[in-house]
Amino acid sequence: MVGVRRINTRGQFKIQQMAFMIMAVFFFFILVGLFFVGWQFKDIKSSAEQLHEDQAISSMKVVADMTELNCNSREDFCLDEDKLKVMTNSNLSRVYTDFWPVASVKVYKVYPAFDNVVECPGADCNYYEIFDNGQRNVKEFSTYVSICKKLKESGYVYDRCDIGKLLVGVTIHDEDEE
Amino acid sequence: MSSRGQFNFVWLFAIIAGGAILFLAIYGAMQFSDTAQYQSDTEIAKSISILTDPLQAGFSEGSTGRIEFREETRINNFCYDDGFGRNDISVASRPDADEDWNLAGGATSIHNKYIFSAERSDGLDYYVFSKPFEFPYKVADLIFLTSDSYCFANAPDEIVDEVINMNLPNVEAGNCTGKENVRVCFGFGNDCDMTVYGTCGSGCDSSYDTGKVERGGAETHFVGNLMWAAIFSDRVVYECNVKRLLYRTGIIAVELMGKVDLMDARGCDSNLKPSLSVWASATGNASSRDLSGLNMAAKSIDVKNDKELCGVW
Repeated sequence: MVGVRRINTRGQFKIQQMAFMIMAVFFFFILVGLFFVGWQFKDIKSSAEQLHEDQAISSMKVVADMTELNCNSREDFCLDEDKLKVMTNSNLSRVYTDFWPVASVKVYKVYPAFDNVVECPGADCNYYEIFDNGQRNVKEFSTYVSICKKLKESGYVYDRCDIGKLLVGVTIHDEDEE
Repeated sequence: MSSRGQFNFVWLFAIIAGGAILFLAIYGAMQFSDTAQYQSDTEIAKSISILTDPLQAGFSEGSTGRIEFREETRINNFCYDDGFGRNDISVASRPDADEDWNLAGGATSIHNKYIFSAERSDGLDYYVFSKPFEFPYKVADLIFLTSDSYCFANAPDEIVDEVINMNLPNVEAGNCTGKENVRVCFGFGNDCDMTVYGTCGSGCDSSYDTGKVERGGAETHFVGNLMWAAIFSDRVVYECNVKRLLYRTGIIAVELMGKVDLMDARGCDSNLKPSLSVWASATGNASSRDLSGLNMAAKSIDVKNDKELCGVW
């Protein structure tokens, strides 16, 4: 009777030991899995950011050449100042909300030089915000463009151009934000 | 006796637990493999969107490129025509022709491009080329994506010249070898998969400036470079993209009306505003069936614009 009880106790102890061991092995694998998944997600996040950056850079020419912005002079990277004004000053910008392949599209005049940034529409403005999806942590890429408008003087029509900068933004994911 | 029973129980317990761990590990590995494949296919779909950026014609007559995949790839192109609409591009792959296709990766929505292709096309190599769409001003670049090879039978000289100038490796015009997948006949021909009819009578560079493509008993109408779109894409994708293009044509007309106001204000007068207003309402909700009639109006507006000292485009 005593012998049987001793065997049962030892058996229970063994089962407990094994259960703990199995738990430990399970937790170990779960931790390894979590670590691996975390590492994979970081990889996915970085490739998503890379793709976004690639898209922003390649989109710069596409955005500059879009009929909605370009100055029809059959020149690359030439923006029409009138079209920029229409796009910032009317309901059109709302219509185009889902259209842009990037997080933001902005245009600055850089020459003639200015002291203060004055947003258009406005007198002597030098900054056009064509589109901004409102996201924070936007990384901006820029390229120089001509900003031209047609003028008529003494019966002659000519293009007067300033130098500007086209900025397109791409959303970046900040580790601290999560 | 009881000691042997205890020993067996321990083994049984270990085998069951070990089996469970092994099963979970194998299941996890398979799931991971599927997820990795899904991730890769999703990245490819996004890459297609990026790769087509430099291939857009811009101010040139057209441009050509080729996308090569390491394994057989299926590209799905689903088009939505609400407002500016979009092309949803997703990609599935398979390592061997005998195997089933993997589940397609996540779709990339492209709102600012017009991708003309089959709804579902398979292949290792894809040919991408682009042509501008002007109606009468430049509206967008049309992007054609195809993995098939084409034979253009009885093509007129201007089409043959365009194929040669574009250097399209998957299109044979005139010297067909018979190995091509799709036979496109211009006007007439035998064993045609589709027939292109030119309907432009007067004031045209070519009779194929307007026309229709007949395929499987159904007709698709085109103007200008949309002829290439009608040839290289499925009817559903074509009709959807044409609606999107015409909607954008109308919105650009509204923007140009704003430009006319600004030009008028500084003495660079233009009389195009009423024409643009009519044009905007005519194109805003039009479809490919209206193209032929709209083309006449487009030409008339273009002539008016050319006569203006301060042209709007």
